[in-house]
Amino acid sequence: MRWLSWAVIALVVLWAAVPSLFTGYDPLDGVPAEKLQGPSAAHLFGTDAVGRDLFARVVHGSVHSLSGALAAVGVGLVLGTLLGLIAGSVRGVVDEIVMRVMDVLLSVPGLLLALTVIILLGPGTVNVAIAVGVGSVASFARLARAEVVRVRRTDYVEAAFGSGGTFAGVLRRHVLPNSLGPVVALAALQFGVAILAISTLGFLGYGAEPPTPEWGLLIAEGRNYLATSWWLTTLPGAVVVAVVLAAGRISKEIR
Amino acid sequence: MSSFRPAVVTVAMLAAVGLLTSCGGSGAGAQAASDGEPVYGGTLTYLEHQPPTCLYLPAAGFYPNGGVLNQLTDKLTWQNPETLKIEPWIATKWEINEDATEYTFHLRDGVTFSDGTPLDAEAVAANFDVYGRGDDKLKLPPAEFVNNYERSEVVDARTVRFHFSKPSPGFLQGTSVIGAGLVSKKTIGLPYEEQCQLKNVVGSGPFTVAKQVVDKEIDLQARKDYNWAPPSSTHQGRAYLDLIKIIVTPEDNVRVGALTSGQADYVRYVQAYDEATVKNAGFVVKGEPTRGVNNGLYLRPANSILKDIRVRKALQAGTDAKEVVDTLFTDNYPVATSVLSHLAAGYVDLSDKLVHDPDTANKLLDEAGWTRGADGIREKDGVKLRLGVFVAGPQPLSKQTLELVAQQWTKIGVKLEIRPADSGTQAVDIKDAEKTAVNHSMVGRADQDVIKSQFHTENRDVILSDDKKLDQLLEEESALADETKRNEKVAEIQRYVIDQGYVIPLFEEPQVYGIAPYVHGAAFEAVGRPSFYSVWLSK
Repeated sequence: MRWLSWAVIALVVLWAAVPSLFTGYDPLDGVPAEKLQGPSAAHLFGTDAVGRDLFARVVHGSVHSLSGALAAVGVGLVLGTLLGLIAGSVRGVVDEIVMRVMDVLLSVPGLLLALTVIILLGPGTVNVAIAVGVGSVASFARLARAEVVRVRRTDYVEAAFGSGGTFAGVLRRHVLPNSLGPVVALAALQFGVAILAISTLGFLGYGAEPPTPEWGLLIAEGRNYLATSWWLTTLPGAVVVAVVLAAGRISKEIR
Repeated sequence: MSSFRPAVVTVAMLAAVGLLTSCGGSGAGAQAASDGEPVYGGTLTYLEHQPPTCLYLPAAGFYPNGGVLNQLTDKLTWQNPETLKIEPWIATKWEINEDATEYTFHLRDGVTFSDGTPLDAEAVAANFDVYGRGDDKLKLPPAEFVNNYERSEVVDARTVRFHFSKPSPGFLQGTSVIGAGLVSKKTIGLPYEEQCQLKNVVGSGPFTVAKQVVDKEIDLQARKDYNWAPPSSTHQGRAYLDLIKIIVTPEDNVRVGALTSGQADYVRYVQAYDEATVKNAGFVVKGEPTRGVNNGLYLRPANSILKDIRVRKALQAGTDAKEVVDTLFTDNYPVATSVLSHLAAGYVDLSDKLVHDPDTANKLLDEAGWTRGADGIREKDGVKLRLGVFVAGPQPLSKQTLELVAQQWTKIGVKLEIRPADSGTQAVDIKDAEKTAVNHSMVGRADQDVIKSQFHTENRDVILSDDKKLDQLLEEESALADETKRNEKVAEIQRYVIDQGYVIPLFEEPQVYGIAPYVHGAAFEAVGRPSFYSVWLSK
């Protein structure tokens, strides 16, 4: 099963990198006369209400969802680790202040936090990524701090300080690299969560502008046709589920 | 949740009682129903697409508001939706002077508001003083259906006269619209924020508010002593129903599913793609025309790109309204042949000016100096030909419509940016022609003045007009006393807005309802809002 989750992620990354290898249809330009056709050899995932090929939209949409998720994880990883590193190594009042702020962030439900940030920044792909990223800063910070506190007490760090290393130098050369393991595993898990969160925000209409194909948006567009054209929600939904599961599985392996 | 439960039980009991009365009231009850004899009692569950907003009467143009207010208030006159003739209601008769600057209404006797106060000349005068002039102190805006209003005059307790500074031929029809619903003197004297709230709306209509859960549910109860329906109505006296539960159900799927599974009896806004589902399940689909300004894209000349008429004309020629209708809609949505619906007063067929012609569109854009860039989108002086539009919540399938139009515009090198923003962002940005170059909207009213409502700078002003001539034409139209001359002026305005490229009419927007087979007497006012007064159930 290991190879399957890697295969799913690899396929989706390929979709994002070279979509034209996988589909010859234009994701934005449909043939209105061929609207709402079920899955067939010509249209693997069927067509939508305006006659666009749904498979092409999923393939071309992967770049928006994946890059959004990457950016979101990036924001969370960088900001969170940095805060955790500072809090865990400086300790004292700084630690208290940073971690209490993180506690406040953790107490607000993720989606609500993301929506709040979106309302402040305005909708759009980049802003959605930032909003989702901000939501995950607290979990990264907590994990990073715990690791830093552990590593900080080890003998080799004491030795490094003892042998005249500067504060920043020791942090960079010894503390940070040795506390990153679990953080990276969390990043992999967070990648799946971010795809889901971005799809959720897209579903609610805060993500990419239509007609840009974004996974959440595709699912949202299809839901009105649930009774008559099942493939419009089911197939993009299945793709999102597969990718999120694969990312979760990979994160488990890293840990 | 627990506080909600007793209310549900009460409603269920009321419903049960209602059904019992209707079955046991006379031995022939059930038989009578099948014979088409109306039955009293019962609860109607009506699913509404959007929650009502501000319920200040002149804001009743918004369909969810109108659907509630139409049951709560009566109007001076009644517009027969079939003949569009104005018939007596609260006013038993009226006189209009030659140049339509003086209207005298004689009121019916014995009409009371639901708070017990009489509906007399003073109350009517107080209502129209606000609708005609607005009230700055109470922050009440004037109503779009009253033009050139000067003052009211209470002649005696049952006679009221209105004076106008200029002819106001649309006023008689204006007294029949839902927005001109009459409310008690106490209500009309409240400030705007309070008149917006449903609990403060006291009318004389066949129903009163029994319960409201804001943005979720409104229960309307029949008024037992109601006895002043329009004289031409065959049904007189109280409404047949005991209770109407108006439940806000935004998800299209859920509304249709609830209807076909028997959880609801009557739903507003059956989407085009659901019509077949509803019909096949044995339910009735009713598409009511709105007889006004068509669903379309309104181009704003104040935008720095759209200020060039050639660009506007090019977009007009580059849009294929027929493809939009064929792809997304049904027979209930006729392709637009003018800026007005073919059932609107003063309509002229301008379909020869609205031909889909991408070649002309491309030529016009070339002439205007917009050349194709590497990505196929035209540009001029480094500016891309990109135009913003908001998805219009009240319009059916607005997003799909805009996406299809965007697809058509791509072929002529224009990018339509579709924004699905929340209502907060939209409220601010929609007034900015740079951010919102195109407006997707419509407005319904069965009078020539409807075109003024849409375009005049002091009314809806959808194109954020800077066109003095257009304003002047609209003002002339609203002050012409002679029907034929007025229709000619409306025709001139239709030609003008299309020649100026202010509008790309798409289709004539109906109001589509899904109704269970056991619901009888479903009626609509002239622009498709439901009236539940004569509705009865045979289940």
